Amino acid sequence: MSRNGKIILLVLLAAAGLSVAAVAARRGETDHPVARITWDGEVVEEIELDRVGRGYSFTLESQEGSNTISVEKGRIRVAQADCPDQVCVDQGWIADGTVPIVCLPHKLVIEIVGGGSAFDAAAG
Amino acid sequence: MTRRRAEGAGRLTRLALLTAIALTIFLIEAQLPALTTIPGIKLGLANIVTVYAVFTLGPRDALMILCARVFLGAVFSGQMTTLWYSAAGGLLSWCALCLLRKALDKRQLWLSSPVAGVCHNLGQLLAAAAMLGTWAVLAYLPYLVLAGLLAGLFTGVAAQTLIGRMEKLGR
Repeated sequence: MSRNGKIILLVLLAAAGLSVAAVAARRGETDHPVARITWDGEVVEEIELDRVGRGYSFTLESQEGSNTISVEKGRIRVAQADCPDQVCVDQGWIADGTVPIVCLPHKLVIEIVGGGSAFDAAAG
Repeated sequence: MTRRRAEGAGRLTRLALLTAIALTIFLIEAQLPALTTIPGIKLGLANIVTVYAVFTLGPRDALMILCARVFLGAVFSGQMTTLWYSAAGGLLSWCALCLLRKALDKRQLWLSSPVAGVCHNLGQLLAAAAMLGTWAVLAYLPYLVLAGLLAGLFTGVAAQTLIGRMEKLGR
């Protein structure tokens, strides 16, 4: 194998290794999960998931379509969406910061951030 | 990988044929159920044609096939919103293939495909981050890098085999 080939192979292996490490590092519970809902580039809602009592749902609507979001203690999901691909609905509940829920057609992102003491101070 | 380049009608026919093949593969693959719940992960079998075209026909012809396939693929699958993600991913992976074209020798051109696969997913993710206006989607990066590597490995080996067979046919 030529020198270039070896370099590329090494770079690929390094990329694979780093990705596995990143996946492993992101796992882990957030002790104070906060769901941040970003819609069309703006944060519209931040929900402290461990303070949710009874579960509830609400709907975000724009001319592009609507998403119904369900919240329960410690977890959140998109229950219904009128987009063609249904990727966000199929993803189901998320409870930690591993991966966010993304609805590309409606420009909606739900991510879970570990709200530490800084968030508590801001929330008063 | 030098060979006489077809001109005029011959070239047009070859481009049209390869575009049709790529589009067919793309549309059939789009009918298959999603592999994971993580959006953006798929085999990308149509990229076998892109790799083949970059290495045998050259970057310019490959770019034309790629653009036609990405646009028509979005039209025929009825998902115009995916157009920008595939275009961003496709262009970035095309750049990677063009850079690697001279660097790799004939027996190891399959190696270019995992690089292209990772670049494709990276481009897609950057387009998504720009459209959504948040960097939160970058949490998907490690998954997409791994998926791009594996899918690229598969399409790369397929393209390598294809190029070998086509040479035996003397075409």
